Amino acid sequence: MPGYWQLLPEVLVLAGAIVALFGELVPGKDRGAVLVGSALSAVAALLAAFGGLADPLFGGMLVADGPARFIRVGVAGLTAVWLLWLSGRGVTGERSREAAALAMFSASGGMLLAMSADLITLYMALELSTMPAYVLMGYRRGDIRGLEGALKYFLLSLTTSLIMLYGLSFVYGISGETLFSRIDLSGAGTIALVAAVLTLVGLFAKMSAAPFHYWTPDAYEGAPASSVAFVSAVPKVAGTAAMVRLVQVLDTGTPYLPLVLGVVAAVSMVLGNLAALTQQDVRRLMAYSGVAHSGYLLMGLAAGAYLGDLGRPGFGFGAAVLYAVAYAVPSMAVMLVAAEEGTQVTSLARLASRRAPAAWALVVWLLSLIGIPPLAGFFGKLYLFGSALDAGQVWLVVIAVLMSVVSAGYYFRLIREAFLGTCDTQPATLSRSTRAGVALAIAVGATFAMGIFASPMLSALGFVAG
Amino acid sequence: MLPLLTTIVFLPLVGAAVTAFLPKTRPDLPKKVALGFALADLVAAVVMLARFTPGAAGFQFTERANWVPEAGIQYFMAVDGISVVLVALSALLTVLAIVASWNIGEKPAFYFSMILLLAVGMNGVFCALDFVLFYVFWELVLVPMYFLIAMWGGPRREYAAIKFFLYTLFGSVFMLVGILALYLHPEAGGTFDMIALAKAGASGVIAPGFQWWVFAAFFLGFAVKVPVWPLHTWLPDAHVEAPTAGSVLLAGILLKMGTYGFLRVSLPMLPDAAETWAWFLALLAAISIIYGAAVAFAQTDLKKLVAYSSVSHMGFVMLGLASLTPEGVNGAVVVMVAHGLITGMMFLMVGMVYERTHTRMIADISGVSKAMPVAGGLLAFASFASLGLPGLAGFPGEFLSLLGAWKSDAFSDYYVIASALGVLLAAAYMLWMVQRVVLGEPSAAVSGNPDLSARELSTLVPLVALIVVVGVYWSSLLQYVDPAVTAILAGMGV
Repeated sequence: MPGYWQLLPEVLVLAGAIVALFGELVPGKDRGAVLVGSALSAVAALLAAFGGLADPLFGGMLVADGPARFIRVGVAGLTAVWLLWLSGRGVTGERSREAAALAMFSASGGMLLAMSADLITLYMALELSTMPAYVLMGYRRGDIRGLEGALKYFLLSLTTSLIMLYGLSFVYGISGETLFSRIDLSGAGTIALVAAVLTLVGLFAKMSAAPFHYWTPDAYEGAPASSVAFVSAVPKVAGTAAMVRLVQVLDTGTPYLPLVLGVVAAVSMVLGNLAALTQQDVRRLMAYSGVAHSGYLLMGLAAGAYLGDLGRPGFGFGAAVLYAVAYAVPSMAVMLVAAEEGTQVTSLARLASRRAPAAWALVVWLLSLIGIPPLAGFFGKLYLFGSALDAGQVWLVVIAVLMSVVSAGYYFRLIREAFLGTCDTQPATLSRSTRAGVALAIAVGATFAMGIFASPMLSALGFVAG
Repeated sequence: MLPLLTTIVFLPLVGAAVTAFLPKTRPDLPKKVALGFALADLVAAVVMLARFTPGAAGFQFTERANWVPEAGIQYFMAVDGISVVLVALSALLTVLAIVASWNIGEKPAFYFSMILLLAVGMNGVFCALDFVLFYVFWELVLVPMYFLIAMWGGPRREYAAIKFFLYTLFGSVFMLVGILALYLHPEAGGTFDMIALAKAGASGVIAPGFQWWVFAAFFLGFAVKVPVWPLHTWLPDAHVEAPTAGSVLLAGILLKMGTYGFLRVSLPMLPDAAETWAWFLALLAAISIIYGAAVAFAQTDLKKLVAYSSVSHMGFVMLGLASLTPEGVNGAVVVMVAHGLITGMMFLMVGMVYERTHTRMIADISGVSKAMPVAGGLLAFASFASLGLPGLAGFPGEFLSLLGAWKSDAFSDYYVIASALGVLLAAAYMLWMVQRVVLGEPSAAVSGNPDLSARELSTLVPLVALIVVVGVYWSSLLQYVDPAVTAILAGMGV
């Protein structure tokens, strides 16, 4: 039984989920159970980070390589921070133990997804990571808007999953193999492109990339902000891992695949950023900003696919993986603050005088999302843009940088509101919560650290000095 | 012994952190603490100037360490004769800006920590020689300046602040594309080391066609910052709405970042493109000079007049740079320093007048010299310096720029003639302003106000002294600047 210890992080997260389901029996009830989950996830992240790499498991169905390790640490770490916040604040009006359990199920799915190197494990892990998200989005049973959004998300996600499965069946049909290492689609001709497009449609929808993003704003707007924080961050990170693997499998060397990825990237960046400009609800705003950031990620994938065709090593895939986490941390944190303060842009008014640390934390996260150095988002974009330029996709980079400027327009609306906004009504005073404060502080620290101390992450992702 | 440049750059960061966390119950503390840190930083800058060997070309006080070796990013700082002067100017103006803000009552801890954070970015840009580090500092200045304008600015401050932010961000993202393009260049790249890239530029491995579009990307980044017509429209808004200290630092240092970029990046790294496009830079420079001066003429707002005069003066910097002659480029650097001193002083004076009269409308202000003799005299002095009176700092730089531009073969002499007309216009609008504001009988807003206080004088006297020193004894400045300029031009092979 060599190497099964590698799955210990996933086991720990699953154990946390089960503990949360029995929250009634844990000292401290909900809060205690969620805190246990947070601690277990944190340990899982550390184990995944320092556990070292080993041989593939289960005949190569799971592979713990550098990108997989990075994603697993990211997923487990984000989950730990989210649970820490949840144990302090809870879900408004509902019990939080099921939310915690669902999140940890989703996280374990995401971590497995990162390691999947087989069509079947990949599909199962993907479903495991997204299924709990449907429930999280419709977590308030009495909320009609929330249920509508969740149903929309569920139906669209299910449909696209099936389209993706259809695509995967072509892949199996062509190659007769399910293991990525043995699948060879080169020479299959047009049918391989059909398989690729069908498969990617499913992933585009899950990553809310345009034009398959329509579910996102409605689903986010109806959901509790705390659920949005999780769903907008963790499944997206895991989905990036799946895309990186699949793109490498599906790439047959024709120029179409990089082109499809590039076009979807461009449309997502333009549409997401422009649509976000006019939003009044933080959840809708972050939904569209999420569409835009999926576009940036896909730019890295397009570059990776293109450079792969040229037989040159490139940073594209590594940059996309890095950017996924660099996006997820601040995005989740902003939504957590919205969960505390209210989900309208105007509910952030005067945040700087009420809670100066939270307002400054918000500035850090939003600047990171814009891509201001020395924060995580800047270095993520630096490597992404670099890889895309390396691949000769100058047009895509020009769109990307212009859209970064546009994004500053709406992110600064939040900053403006927090520092200069005025409100007539006195907002309800928020109870103090050390756990939530620590969770947000960790998110600030991570946003700085991922930028300034990027070196170990880059070597994990296989970057080599040019 | 602490590494000198790191100390100069990051001491204000420590100061900003300390200032931000001072107790709210002591509103008088932040300005004193901030001044302490800024003065310490100025002392460090003076030590740097004193220990700098002026005659030597090349970079001194080199500090180099690996930062992100996987991507070839270093922590690399050093200064040459150009940057050493600009760092010193930045440290000086930071001190003066803090003293000028002594009466800030609203959220003082926030305000003064923003000024110190701004100082980190300003000092850092001139010290950094790794492109990523350079970009970090370049962008760092945006955030504190946004808050300075948006929180303590005039009536249209929110608009002006976000306009400033978005405009300059628009420019700098293209600069980032340029940086990456150089990094990815198969022969020259693989490094963000600006000295190595300049060497690659000098050696001619970067093909002219490639240089052209990289030059265009950098041009957008730098030209917005300078600002060059027609990318200047953020400047009047930002200047008019910014608090006095914000205007001083914006005009004094932030605009110089743009021309410094041309000098440090575009010229040495992309010499072929710089030569090819010199006529274009000169054309925009000439338009900026004339346009800035003409618009300054029409202003009814004193601060806007100074703001547009900045567009005009920065045009001389661009003209000098575009000439690619030793005289012109030296002149450009001298204008950069002189404009920092003079326009800094002008904005300080405008702020002092405004604090007393509560108006900046030229029509409402007259007879300053009768009501406040010291203020009137100094305002007239600053105006004379600004219009380029020989013997004061405004003259040598613009003279050298025009001389270099005349000697240059890079573009037509008509640009130079047009630019020289700008000097005439500057004299006209400045003297007309002096006639209306300084001379005459005191208007209602002006009369009965106290003259300058000792604190206010303390911000002006160092500037007056330096304006005279630079004006009379240029070689004190050129001994630093000239070897560095010569090195850059030698690398370009012109």
